[in-house]
Amino acid sequence: MRALKRSLRRTGAIFHARNLEYLRDRASFGWNLLFPVLIVLALSIVFSGPPRALFSVTVIGDGMAPELVEFPGVERIDANQDRALARLSRQQTDLVVEASETAVQYWVNGNSASGALLELLLKYTESRPLTRGLADGEAIRYVDWVVPGILGMNMMYSALWGVGYVVVRYRQSGYLRRLKATPLTQFEFLSAQVLSRLIVTLTASLIVFVGTHLILDYKMVGSALLLLLVALLGGLAMITLGLAIACRTESKEFADGLLNAVTFPMLLLSEVWFSLDGSPVWVQTVAACLPLTHVLDAARAVMLDNAGIPEIWPSLLILVGFCAAGMTLSIRLFKW
Amino acid sequence: MTDVILSVEGLKKSYDDVIAVDGLDFSIEAGQCFGLLGPNGAGKTTTLQMLEGMESPTSGTVTYRGGPLPQDYQERIGIQFQATALQDFLTPFDNLKLFSRFYDDPIPMDTLIEKFRLSEFLHRDARRLSGGQRQRLLLAMALVHNPEIVFLDEPTTGLDPRSRRDLWEVVRDLKNEGRTLILTTHYMEEAEILCDELVILSHGKTLLEGTPRALIEAAGVENLDALFLNLTGEHLVKTEEVIS
Repeated sequence: MRALKRSLRRTGAIFHARNLEYLRDRASFGWNLLFPVLIVLALSIVFSGPPRALFSVTVIGDGMAPELVEFPGVERIDANQDRALARLSRQQTDLVVEASETAVQYWVNGNSASGALLELLLKYTESRPLTRGLADGEAIRYVDWVVPGILGMNMMYSALWGVGYVVVRYRQSGYLRRLKATPLTQFEFLSAQVLSRLIVTLTASLIVFVGTHLILDYKMVGSALLLLLVALLGGLAMITLGLAIACRTESKEFADGLLNAVTFPMLLLSEVWFSLDGSPVWVQTVAACLPLTHVLDAARAVMLDNAGIPEIWPSLLILVGFCAAGMTLSIRLFKW
Repeated sequence: MTDVILSVEGLKKSYDDVIAVDGLDFSIEAGQCFGLLGPNGAGKTTTLQMLEGMESPTSGTVTYRGGPLPQDYQERIGIQFQATALQDFLTPFDNLKLFSRFYDDPIPMDTLIEKFRLSEFLHRDARRLSGGQRQRLLLAMALVHNPEIVFLDEPTTGLDPRSRRDLWEVVRDLKNEGRTLILTTHYMEEAEILCDELVILSHGKTLLEGTPRALIEAAGVENLDALFLNLTGEHLVKTEEVIS
């Protein structure tokens, strides 16, 4: 009985001490309360609205759209011409229309039954002259679409936690202080972290890529080298982001919160699992600010549409910008 | 003519409204084992960190051979921190190799392994080392580049008596090699045995400075702890620290 009492006393003491520590780490405590609320809010915003429609029509431009897009069961999506036609060729939309005062240009995928039905409806309901455009391309399976997302997500977690969390752990344990007492410079230390994690991330991604390709036989029609370049820049962008997060953070719990704050929006908004087509413009604007969005845009363009540098250079340029910003911030703000 | 290697003048360090070090003045001669003695919270580690160049003083100066700390100061000194984590999953061999690679002209690995008797646990996960083994490894890592000055921050705290004596032997060897050693400790016996000169600190200020023997004799007491008790009414090492 005495042993049990002693044990309970010790347990109570450590429980109390831990509670005090937790409560006094205000950043971590606040974040742990705030984060679940943010998740619920984000999910409710993204998934709000009516159930999915039967058909999808993508509208280009601001012209007066055909009456068809207002029909019940038809979902209207707005996009620019490149994106709209890319979606049509993947059969992610059934019809693309671009209307002016006097005429309507439309595109349909010759392999899509839904597209043929909508084309008939359009002909019966639209009074303006119609011009037909034809797109080609097989419907992509969900697996074809989601594999780049999973690869990108894997890269994101590996890069951000593998660098961000580890550097904070080094700092908290005094290991960085030990390194500071050597001639090692912070640039050397940071570069070594980046390179080491880049190799790990790329190797892991390559293994997952080859392994899942053998099992799922997903679509990969583009250049493997170009895809490697996308992975390289994407990996670097994520790693430097992880470093920027870790450059001054001293608490592992707070670092955990910050890393979640960065990864969760990307998981939700960078089209890892589902397309954001049809979501509010501001959601798409936020998504465009996230590095994973550009990694996945470029990777999907290469893998599914055989895109080359001319098609994906804007994404690549943005990723280079993320790398430069992340590394500059890390070097400037880093504290041993 | 004395060969002063390090000296401090008016050294102060404060954190917000807490004064950790409050106006220290002392000099350290080359080849000497210099002790900073005092109870927990006396300002020993903060003083050491300023001597190491790891912390900037709030005011006052630290000079190396009469001038400011040189650019390559980190290469002239070796530091054994009071509590240093090692990278997970690395063995002592890996750690020595890693730290050897930070310097241009490191001591050969075999020499270090023999000198610090690391061979029996050389390939063990560093997290599984005993206190004494760990301290020997940390000391070897601090000396990997053959530094002129070695800082030892409470190197024997938490060690059993045998490991403590083992480490004293190593420290004596370092002294015999002509290195300058700067040691913090709250063990009076350790200071008496190892130090040529010491400063006793309390609340960031110097209480006494001199050789251990001279200080004891001048006060007419048995040992440094008795001297400290006379000065402050406190023991250098609290009873619970001895038990732990």
